[in-house]
Amino acid sequence: MKTWRIVLGVLGVSAVAFGTVELITGVPLPSLLRVAVWLAAAVIIHDAIWSPGLIGAGALLSRVPARGRRYLQGGLIVAGALTVIAVPMIYLRGQQPPGKAILLQDVGANLALLIVIVAAVSGAAYGWRVVSDRGRRGAPDVPADPGSGPEPVDPEPARTR
Amino acid sequence: MDRPVFWPHFSSPVRSTALTARLGRLIGIAIGICFLTGLLSHYQYGPWRWLPEPASPAWGYRLTQGVHVATGMAAIPLVLIKLWSVYPNLFRWPPARSVKHAVERGTVGLLVAATLVQLVTGFANALNWYPFRWDFVPVHWALAWVVAGSVLLHIGVKLPDIVYGLQTRVADGDVLSEIPWNENPVSHSNAGQVPPPATPALSRRDVLTVTGLGLGAVVITTVGQTVKPLEPLGLLAIRQPHRGPQGVPVNRTAEQAQVLTIARDPAWRLLVRGPRPYELSLGQIEARVEHQAWLPIACVEGWSALAHWRGLRLVDLVERAGGNADSVVRVRSLEPAGFNTSEIFGPQLSAALLATHLNGARLDIDHGYPLRLIAPNRAGVLNTKWLSSIEVVS
Repeated sequence: MKTWRIVLGVLGVSAVAFGTVELITGVPLPSLLRVAVWLAAAVIIHDAIWSPGLIGAGALLSRVPARGRRYLQGGLIVAGALTVIAVPMIYLRGQQPPGKAILLQDVGANLALLIVIVAAVSGAAYGWRVVSDRGRRGAPDVPADPGSGPEPVDPEPARTR
Repeated sequence: MDRPVFWPHFSSPVRSTALTARLGRLIGIAIGICFLTGLLSHYQYGPWRWLPEPASPAWGYRLTQGVHVATGMAAIPLVLIKLWSVYPNLFRWPPARSVKHAVERGTVGLLVAATLVQLVTGFANALNWYPFRWDFVPVHWALAWVVAGSVLLHIGVKLPDIVYGLQTRVADGDVLSEIPWNENPVSHSNAGQVPPPATPALSRRDVLTVTGLGLGAVVITTVGQTVKPLEPLGLLAIRQPHRGPQGVPVNRTAEQAQVLTIARDPAWRLLVRGPRPYELSLGQIEARVEHQAWLPIACVEGWSALAHWRGLRLVDLVERAGGNADSVVRVRSLEPAGFNTSEIFGPQLSAALLATHLNGARLDIDHGYPLRLIAPNRAGVLNTKWLSSIEVVS
């Protein structure tokens, strides 16, 4: 393993060094500064805004009983992947000459349709789970999942450690 | 050294080294694909004379660049999910144990920064959207090496974690928190025979499943811009090829290229420079149209369309000017600025058409009327439109 780690490290550092030299020699200074600002902003936006937002959303979701939450979370992840791609297209729609055949679609409506499909599939999967739980237990009112009570919220304050 | 009371603590049992290793393998493959296809695309812009671009398969660039853009777009949600899975690592305490550890964390920061900027600006470029105020190509090229190198370095640094993660069943294994798995006393891997941590709602296996479903949904709804049979499913496709003039999109209109008037001038003539220079009028060109080919036009931005082209063989004109199939030929556009010239040689020269007709009709002005270059396995931007001259360089 040690040899592999050294080889990977040397290759990696060499490629980073080459890329940095290409960046410094191939890009004029004002552009270079803008790239640096973008690199810093990407980390700050991701780590200080996006991720805490996700955790906050997860904390809100934790109020939903676990059996249903599973399908809600799954649907939200799929819908989120589509939304991330669609949002800039909604913003940019119709700003280019029509001959380019670019961004002509009503992506907002298309995204809504896709989210409805995702919600329907998630809902159907949840319904299937509810029905199969009843069939297995033969007692319709007993919750199938004993772990569906409240759980630790993410993140929780430091306690014993 | 104990953590301060205010320091965040994570107890998400879904997050796990076993899960992250699998997500990491996926994003590593995606970045590898983007890097290699990106190198192929970069080579299109300046091939060495002794290693010309091949002319076959004609759909080569269509495939590699379609894969490049589709993979890069799918990598955006993927990288967000992967980073979600390791977010607790940001809160390791102490933030740096040693200089070596600080350097390691710095390289992770560089990896995250470069990858996010690379994916976002690549996507923006495919959208013809330039919120970044720099020249896209050199920065994308340089950052590609930074990203690829950072990934290799990251794999080297994390290799013990990766091996542990991949060798552990995803439901078993540690709970990834702000404490490293190999120091975590409640971590499953360290505590002997402990039952797998309970994940009452979404399980780790579920995360992998919905990640696959989400990426699949992104690919299927966007890839219609280059895979014709999937065009009807392209609800999020950036381009809809059939809506372009003559059923083919363009990347630069005649108006944008400022050639609306000069390209329509009936007195237009093609200048052929070489040992025996000559000129051809519009009528002479149109009288010589006797070759045809089905060739894709494939853009660096990831869209493509197969089309039927008619025109003259470039190599015939080159031979009349005193060149031959081994010559290097430079074609120039009427377009006054921008990417208005390209070089062609080797197998592509022998296979190239100077096209006058597209899909059965005279070329639309946006497709390069009166005459354009079209060659197999050649990036769209190099298939120069609104030709003014061809020149036998050597």
